[in-house]
Amino acid sequence: MTAPAPLLPLDRETRLALGLASPAFLILAALFILPLALLLAVSLQGAEGLSLAAYAKLLGTPHYLKIIWNSLSLALIVTGISLLIGYPASFAIARAKGHWRSLMLACLFLPLAASVIVKAFAWTILLRSTGIVNQTLLFLGIIDQPIRMIFTETALVVGAVNIFLPFMVLPIFSVVAQFDRRLSEAAATLGANPLQAFLKVILPVTMPGVIAGVALVFSLSVSAYVVPTLLIGERFPTLASTIAKSYLLTREEAFGAASGVVLLAIAVAVVMLSARFGREGRR
Amino acid sequence: MGGTLAGGTDLMDDVAPVPDPLPVHLVIRGLSKRFGQTRVLSDIALGMPKGELLTLLGPSGCGKTTLLRQIAGLAQPDTGSIVLDGRDITHLPPHRRSVGVVFQNYALFPHLNVAGNVAFGLKLQKKSRAEVEAAVKRTLALVHLDHLADRPIRALSGGQQQRVALARALAVEPSVLLFDEALSALDRKLREAMQGELRRLLREIGATAIFVTHDQEEALTMSDRVAVMHQGRIEQLADPKTLYDRPATAFALSFVGQSLQIRGKVTSSEAGYSTIATEIGQVLAPRAFLPGSEVIVATRPEHVRLCEGDNTLMGKVRAVTYQGPRSLVEIEAGTARILAELSGREVPPEPGRTVLFSWPASETLVYPAGEGA
Repeated sequence: MTAPAPLLPLDRETRLALGLASPAFLILAALFILPLALLLAVSLQGAEGLSLAAYAKLLGTPHYLKIIWNSLSLALIVTGISLLIGYPASFAIARAKGHWRSLMLACLFLPLAASVIVKAFAWTILLRSTGIVNQTLLFLGIIDQPIRMIFTETALVVGAVNIFLPFMVLPIFSVVAQFDRRLSEAAATLGANPLQAFLKVILPVTMPGVIAGVALVFSLSVSAYVVPTLLIGERFPTLASTIAKSYLLTREEAFGAASGVVLLAIAVAVVMLSARFGREGRR
Repeated sequence: MGGTLAGGTDLMDDVAPVPDPLPVHLVIRGLSKRFGQTRVLSDIALGMPKGELLTLLGPSGCGKTTLLRQIAGLAQPDTGSIVLDGRDITHLPPHRRSVGVVFQNYALFPHLNVAGNVAFGLKLQKKSRAEVEAAVKRTLALVHLDHLADRPIRALSGGQQQRVALARALAVEPSVLLFDEALSALDRKLREAMQGELRRLLREIGATAIFVTHDQEEALTMSDRVAVMHQGRIEQLADPKTLYDRPATAFALSFVGQSLQIRGKVTSSEAGYSTIATEIGQVLAPRAFLPGSEVIVATRPEHVRLCEGDNTLMGKVRAVTYQGPRSLVEIEAGTARILAELSGREVPPEPGRTVLFSWPASETLVYPAGEGA
């Protein structure tokens, strides 16, 4: 007969790791998990006891489904464009030398010091009909009349990409900066052309950075409130603006909470999917 | 007109038959490279028959790694040509050269396991799945790693990683294999074991290989020929025994084996022998010089005897290093230091004693002063 296994068969190192993680865990539990539980509870509150009415309204009405799709498509487009710009940019920064590298990093990260509201307003000023973009185009004779830029989907995407791009570049850059260039040289000496070396070595090795960047930018842009509100407004309602409206204007707390839960579920699902996809890419 | 003529002569030189009876496999001609004002490679010429194991030996910064990278196509020379198997590869990108490289820190793909690393090049060759699997298995067996095929790279020891790097390069059957300080990251004991094993393995499969190292022992044990490099030039290209017994330059002497050097001036020279006056006495050397020439004389420790002979000198024992099968006696004579190697059976003299020592005139190595070193 064998001795019963202990409930938690942990070695010294694992116990130490758990010990070191516990303060962070406690803080997260108090400030994050508890409010989430409250949110869930509120979302299930009906006129008489528990009810899924809020969810039924949100997921059963074409109007609200369109809003969910708005949030989702905005996040997908912004994440995709940020990745397309941010991935090569990370390589450019990682390969740059000395002052150039510092300068590029400063250009990327200094805007983080300004509030998102300031940046979104800056875009409204740039893009309005009397803004510098329209004025320049008029002056150059490229257009005869100011074109409508602000309050369009394009303005929204441009502004959002600009604001969220650093969150894509930072994690990718940190991985790319550590990328050993001899790995691509090794691939080349084994017969890989530059494209094959990129697809089979560089991309999979830098994938953890890509996953982190995608997860960050997606969760930021799917829940963005200030940027869509200022750059496109009522024309393009999102889940975030719906939550704000139901809490601040219509006082439908259950509906607002349910929208929050759905938003969170979407973000978590996409982050988990991308992590899983990335892991499989490494096989 | 003159240009045409000169071009014609060049062409004649190029197609002249190679006198070497062995088929020449890799031919490097006039390879030069500058980085700014620094000449990292000057007019390198090298020919290797198939199956040869050659070492580029030299201190860091001598150009050996630069030369290796140019053969692999990872760097471009300013002038010169590299011909492999009759094909000019000077300007081909690395993936079209059939040159394998085992890198210093192995550069294994961290996202693939052992088998994945070895299969990398094979998959690019558009082989069938079965062929790839068979080749991976065969190559891993060759380096005795068949039991670790499914391990991730980070779970391997340094020696095992080294073998994976070797297997990965071998699997695609390159025309020539390059080793960039490939053994230097291993500890001494493992390195020595790997040296023997690697040499046997490369011989067995008939590989042509170039090693880059700053480790003279590795160079002497691993290779058929050694190219000693210094300041971007090949100072001497010879088999290990010639290199050790008859270093061509004072630099080759100082870089290979142990020896101590004494400055002197030639007083007379006849019948191919020179008499050289040094601060510790007269030395006879088997090489003619103009009387009055400044020279450096040296000899290998194993030729120095603690008795009278051709070149008998006197000195004081400074230190004795016991090394098991032998002891090294360091003798101080004037400002010079001479090493004598005694076999384990001989009783070394006490430090501080004054001794007579000598070596055969035929074993005196002599070089013009101010050269190399």
